[in-house]
Amino acid sequence: MIVAGCDVGSLSAEAVILKDGAILGSEIIRVRPKAEQSAIDVMDKTLRGLDLSYEDIDYTVSTGYGRETISFADHNISEISCHGRGAHWLIPSIKTVIDIGGQDCKAIRVDKDGALEDFVMNDKCAAGTGRSLEIYSEVLGVHISQLGSLSLNASEPVTITNQCSIFAETEIMHYLMEDKSTADVAAGISDAMARRVKMLVGRVGLKNDIAMTGGVSKNIGVVTCLENMLGTTFVEFTEDPQIIGALGAALFAADRLKKNSKEP
Amino acid sequence: MKPLAKLASISKTLKNEVVTDWINQGKKVVGYVCTYMPEEILLAADILPYRITGKGARDTSLADAYLTRVNCSFARCCLEQGFRGEYDFLEGSVWVNGCDHIRRCYDNWNAKIPRPFMYMLPVPHMFSPEGRQWYKEEVVKFKDAVEAHFNVNITSEKLSEACKIYNETRRLLRKLYDLRASDAPPFTGAEASIILSAGFVMPKTEYNRLLGSLLNEAEKKSKAPQEKVRLLMTGSLMDDSEFVENVEDMGAIVVTDALCFGARYFWDRVAENGDPFEALVDRYYTHVPCPRMAGEYPTRRDFILNQIERAQVKGVILQHIKFCDLHGTDNAMLKMDLEKKGIASIELEREYGPLGDAGRVRTRVQAFLEKIGG
Repeated sequence: MIVAGCDVGSLSAEAVILKDGAILGSEIIRVRPKAEQSAIDVMDKTLRGLDLSYEDIDYTVSTGYGRETISFADHNISEISCHGRGAHWLIPSIKTVIDIGGQDCKAIRVDKDGALEDFVMNDKCAAGTGRSLEIYSEVLGVHISQLGSLSLNASEPVTITNQCSIFAETEIMHYLMEDKSTADVAAGISDAMARRVKMLVGRVGLKNDIAMTGGVSKNIGVVTCLENMLGTTFVEFTEDPQIIGALGAALFAADRLKKNSKEP
Repeated sequence: MKPLAKLASISKTLKNEVVTDWINQGKKVVGYVCTYMPEEILLAADILPYRITGKGARDTSLADAYLTRVNCSFARCCLEQGFRGEYDFLEGSVWVNGCDHIRRCYDNWNAKIPRPFMYMLPVPHMFSPEGRQWYKEEVVKFKDAVEAHFNVNITSEKLSEACKIYNETRRLLRKLYDLRASDAPPFTGAEASIILSAGFVMPKTEYNRLLGSLLNEAEKKSKAPQEKVRLLMTGSLMDDSEFVENVEDMGAIVVTDALCFGARYFWDRVAENGDPFEALVDRYYTHVPCPRMAGEYPTRRDFILNQIERAQVKGVILQHIKFCDLHGTDNAMLKMDLEKKGIASIELEREYGPLGDAGRVRTRVQAFLEKIGG
C-alpha cells in the first residue's frame, strides 16, 4: 500500500510518500504561482526520486492553503489536523504543536490518538510568520537560514514594538541606521516572533510534550526565545519539521484507504 | 418566477424591482441601519422602511478618505455605496447610536450626502424604567418628525395595522426557523440568509405573500435528514449568503442564528392588545438585545442556548467584523460559556464585503468541523 500526502502552502510545497506505514521519501520546493502547479512539481520530484509514478499511489490526501485545487488528490484535510497528526505519529507523547508556516501560525492541541482537540490560528496578518522573517532578513542582508544563528551572537537585543510586519521593517531599518549590530537586531526579531506565538499558545493552553513544525522551526533564534518564554523544551523530530503537514496528510490517506477497502 | 428566485433577485440589487414599483407609485422610501428603529412608524405613514447595507461595494476608496483605519468595514461599505449614489432613491435615512462605527458613517453621510429627511434616533444603552421612558420620548419625537416632514398623520389605527403586518412577517419567519430546526431542514443557511435579506428591502405585505407560498411549498416537500454538522451562527451583522455558503461548503449546515439579520430581528412580536404605540415601544426596547445594550449579555447567552437546544446544534460560529468590539468581546464570553456546556465553537474575524479572504475562513471552518467530528 503506497499513499501520498501533499501540502501546498503559501511559500513552500511538500510531498511525503508512505509505504506500509514507513516513509519512503519526501521533497520540499518553493511554490509556483498556481497551487496545482506546485503540487504537480513537488509530487513529480518526489516520485522521480523514488522511481515511482502516479499509478503506483493508491490514495492521496492534499492539505495546506492550496489543498482544494489539487486535481490528483482523492481528498483534502485542513493543515491544522495534518500537522497534529503528523507530529503525533512521529512523537506519540506530543500534546501541543506550534506550526509556523509562510503566512500563518497556529497552536494545535491533539489528544492521545493524535486527533485534533483544539487550535488557535493567527488572524489575517503576516506578523509572526515565515514571510515576515524573509522580509526582515532581506533588510539585514543575511540569508534566512542564517538569521537564527546570527541572533544567538547578540549582546544587547533590540526591542521591536510594532506588530505589523511592514512597520516592524521600518523599525528594523531605524535600528540599523542607529548602528545597532545585525546580531542585536536579529535577536530582537526572534523575540518579537516568539512573543506573537506565545500568545497563541497561551490561548490554546500549553500541554507537554510540545514540538514545533513548519519552516520557522528551523530558526534556532525563534525556537530558543520561545522555549525560554514558555519555560519548556521542544521535542525534536527525527524528520524535517517542514514536512510534518504532508506527513499527516499521507497518514490520513492511509487511514482512508484502509477504511474504504473494508467497506464493501 | 419561483418565490426563492424572486427573493434572491430582490436581495441582490439595492434599488430592486419592488422598490422601483413603490417609488413609481409616488411613494417614499426611507433607509435605516439598526433594528432598534421601529419600522412600523414609517409603514403607518405609507413610507417603505429600507435597511441600508454595504451590499455590492467592490472597494471602499471613497469612504476610506473619510473614515479612520479603525472603523469597521460595514460602516465603510455603507458609506461607500452612499457616496457612489447607490442610495439616491432614498428620501432620507434614520440612524441609531448603535455603535461608534455607524455613528461615524452617519456623520459623513449627513455632512456630505444628506437627503431631505435625515434623523438620528438615540436609544438608551440600559434597561430601566427611566430608560424605557426616555426611549418612548425619543420614539414620540421621531413619529412627530415623520409626520411633520411627510405631512402625514400617523393614527393609532394605521399603527395597529402596520404592527399586524409586521407581526405576520415575524410569525412566518418563526415558521421558517421551525423548519430549519427540524431533522431535515428544507433550506440551507445560505438560502435562509437570502430569504431574510430580501425582507429588509421590500414592502412586508409583498414579502409575507412570497414567504408564505415559499414555506407552504417547503412543507409539502419531504426531505431526508442531512448528515451535515448543524451549526448556529452569531456575532456581527451578517447579510452575506456567500459567507454562509463558504462555511456550509465544508460539510455543515447553518440551522439557526442569533443575528440582527436573523432570529434577533423577528423573534419578539408587538402585543396586539392595548395601545399600539406603547406596545411598539415595549417591543423595540426589550427585544432580544444587541450587545450595544449594557449588562444584557445573560439574556443573549440564554437566547443562544435555547436556539442550540431547539435546533439540535452541534457547533457555533462566533464571527465578528474586524473592529466590532461589541461582538468581539461578546463572542469571547460566549466561547467560555459554551465550553462550560460542552458546546464547541470557533471565533472568526472577518471583513464585511467582497470575500477576499475566503480561503482563510475555509481552513479554519474545515479544521473546526474535523475537530468536532464532521
